[in-house]
Amino acid sequence: MASQNPTTRQIAMVLDLNKCIGCQTCTIACKKLWNTDTGTGYAYWNNVETLPGKGYPKDWVESGGRTPEGEVKAGRVPNLDDEYGRAWNFNHEAVRKRSGEGKEKPWLRPDGAPRWGANWDEDRGAGDYPQENHYFYLPRLCNHCTHPACLDACPRSAIEKRDEDGIVLVDQDRCHGYRFCVEACPYKKVYFDPKRQVSGKCIFCLPRIEEGVAPACARQCPGRLRFVGYLDDEAGPIWKLVNRYKVALPLHPEFELGPNVFYVPPMSPPKLDEKGRPTGEPRIPTEYLVGLFGKRVHEVLATLESEREKRRQGEPSELMDLLIAYDWNQNFALGPREREVL
Amino acid sequence: MIAAPVGLSPGGYVPKAYAERTAPKTPVAEFEAAKSGDVWQIRLRWACAEPHRELGDDVDRFIDAAAVLAPTVADAPMMTMGAPGKALEGALWRADRTGLIGVRAEGLGTVERGDAPEGWGAKAEWKAGRWSLDFELPGWSVLDARRRLAFAIWQGAEGGRGGLKSVSPGWIEIGT
Repeated sequence: MASQNPTTRQIAMVLDLNKCIGCQTCTIACKKLWNTDTGTGYAYWNNVETLPGKGYPKDWVESGGRTPEGEVKAGRVPNLDDEYGRAWNFNHEAVRKRSGEGKEKPWLRPDGAPRWGANWDEDRGAGDYPQENHYFYLPRLCNHCTHPACLDACPRSAIEKRDEDGIVLVDQDRCHGYRFCVEACPYKKVYFDPKRQVSGKCIFCLPRIEEGVAPACARQCPGRLRFVGYLDDEAGPIWKLVNRYKVALPLHPEFELGPNVFYVPPMSPPKLDEKGRPTGEPRIPTEYLVGLFGKRVHEVLATLESEREKRRQGEPSELMDLLIAYDWNQNFALGPREREVL
Repeated sequence: MIAAPVGLSPGGYVPKAYAERTAPKTPVAEFEAAKSGDVWQIRLRWACAEPHRELGDDVDRFIDAAAVLAPTVADAPMMTMGAPGKALEGALWRADRTGLIGVRAEGLGTVERGDAPEGWGAKAEWKAGRWSLDFELPGWSVLDARRRLAFAIWQGAEGGRGGLKSVSPGWIEIGT
């Protein structure tokens, strides 16, 4: 186990997967803000993937992390062609010009021959239609782990975890582009820029946080499914969702890194029997969710169902009100730090 | 040459993930060192079946590289890239760059890169499965004083970078 000490404070995010519509607004908000350089075309500090699916990069879940005993697991750097996928442009102009002319159908096509991409298996999901087909969206970003594998992997100490908020940052002036951080992070949320030959990763929109503004991915989310605040703020949404109601779970806790991004797991409508009648069994197999978020999924889904039932009966539910985000201001509990004005 | 001991690499990942990497990817390298006037001329040759000269836009590709180093003080340890107050200095050649990079370190993980001293340069050629690299290093006073040097070679095709390198087994005395 890495020896990183817990920080004085830890900023965190909770994402309610029951509300994500896969619109990718968060992805674009992040991308346009932080990753428009030539060497970062493939890099999405925030992405949204469809599950069940192989994700981005492809099959990322199979590389890196630690064993339950805390031993390092060797990872690897994904390949651009087959696992990240090269960014491409579409032939919009050609299609526009040919529209309505001749017999040949003007298909919209990529300008290369991509083999994978950031949302390659969008909306495929799993299960037979119409009895049990299902999918849901999983937005992912750096987890700003309590014990970051990337930090532990860097021989140059070019990665730090800030004591005041637990945000994990790459010092690109110290980075020599070795990519051990890319290898070691099991979430594959560190990206190498081959043009500048340095690694980069989500900075939790640090300049915004320091002004008391939530990260772009959270502020731009039309579904209001993201909550941002400090883990120790008992008046804030994070503490309520993670500690009071205990409905927010880390992704792949078995990696043993202490992620500080948490998810409210998705509920799902029932499967149908051969006559089209609801069976009462959720379409998204609970054991699949256990594989993502750990064994506590059972109790979380029970809590969510119970609180939903309260609302159906007209009873109050602070948890449901919070998750619905009637008052969007309650999604974020951040305050600008006192700072010297120059 | 020997494999640089990954067990010494800083951080918790490399020593565990690369524990099996005990054999050098460049078992043999040949060198010649001579001084002509003020200029140290150092030739280094090694086998390299698959040269990696550029990254392009790939993210899982690594570059061939080599370094020549000398101690700034007599007892600077070579295998740990020096120690606090006992620096190594020298030149780093990378197959994807034209000029040399100046390097200085006072221990593992402390390498600082900068401009090489004025006039330092290198010519490299890959031919028939071998790299031939000729350093021209005028005015290298540290080597003048210490008369010992060491080499490191990174094979890009073998994922060489950082501590994943082949190194001379220790300081090589070059006489007077």
